[in-house]
Amino acid sequence: MKISIYRYNPDVDKKPYMQDYEVELQEGDQMLLDALIRIKQQDDTLSLRKSCREGVCGSDAMNINGKNGLACTTKLQDLEQPVVLRPMPGLPVIRDLVVDMTQFFEHYNSVKPYLVNDDPLPETERLQSPEDRAKLDGLYECIMCGACTTACPSFWWNPDKFVGPSGLMAAYRFIVDSRDQAEAERLENLEDPYRLYRCHNIMNCVDVCPKKLNPNAAIAKIKDLKIERAKEKKAKKTISITAV
Amino acid sequence: MLIELLTKKYPGMRLWLAQRLSAVVLAVYLVIFALLLLVKQPVGYEGWLELMSPWWWRLFTLLFFTSLVMHAWLGVRDVFKDYIFNIKLRAVMQILVDVLLIVYLCWSGVILWGIQFS
Repeated sequence: MKISIYRYNPDVDKKPYMQDYEVELQEGDQMLLDALIRIKQQDDTLSLRKSCREGVCGSDAMNINGKNGLACTTKLQDLEQPVVLRPMPGLPVIRDLVVDMTQFFEHYNSVKPYLVNDDPLPETERLQSPEDRAKLDGLYECIMCGACTTACPSFWWNPDKFVGPSGLMAAYRFIVDSRDQAEAERLENLEDPYRLYRCHNIMNCVDVCPKKLNPNAAIAKIKDLKIERAKEKKAKKTISITAV
Repeated sequence: MLIELLTKKYPGMRLWLAQRLSAVVLAVYLVIFALLLLVKQPVGYEGWLELMSPWWWRLFTLLFFTSLVMHAWLGVRDVFKDYIFNIKLRAVMQILVDVLLIVYLCWSGVILWGIQFS
């Protein structure tokens, strides 16, 4: 099998180049990651991230034949040859297929991806009704591989300001959580013209998500919620003025 | 109510909402206009003159062009923000587009009310 891989070692190389490999596949090699491990045995200077090898950790996200995906869940038989592998676009390359995801995680941190609840801790746990719990489906499954965010042109143009599909989906996951008490602050946190509203429904995020999630729908729901809450706030204000 | 959200208090939302609201005006006008064309089927200059003559229709048409200009302004602004990172160049381009859009809007008013300058 022919695989062409982006190589760049900033300590040695002046600029990146593509290196072609011929891999002898063996019985049981089904996924792209299997082929990459074979290459790594041939040439141990190749750098890539991998861990769970079953699409749960999100470590081995890369650009596969022009489309972001996970090497461990991409079947070799579905790939056109030569398979062209590049690091995920839009993030600085540390070496070969390894990118610096600091920016990605900074955006993730900026949406406070944890429950905010000031009530005293209950004896056992904070309970949810099955209906409230169902609202988190399609959101909590995100493995934060970064495939969606680095496929998003809005992120490419404004990587320092636009939170990106993954971060925004995480924001919505906590906004709709019935146990969370910081909905207003979370919505306010996304009011800047760049943080949320740079999403122009390009839908690359939906196209590439290896977990088949829909960050675009979550973003649209945040926008709707923002209007709803702003209207409610206005109505409340009018009532209080009338009462005075 | 929605108009009240188009204030400085919501810097992100107001631009996004303004674009959606203008899109709604464009869609409503285009549907009504298509229906009018089907019903009246204007032929020649006289036919079109009759179609466009009621004052309320001309006002609605002007609202359509105003929305179109607003929609285009926001859209182009987004594209410039995404692609032009040199602030000075972006400002020049934006001013050019702004002037062009204002001229188009005035021009549509002149055409609708048949104002003669000579």
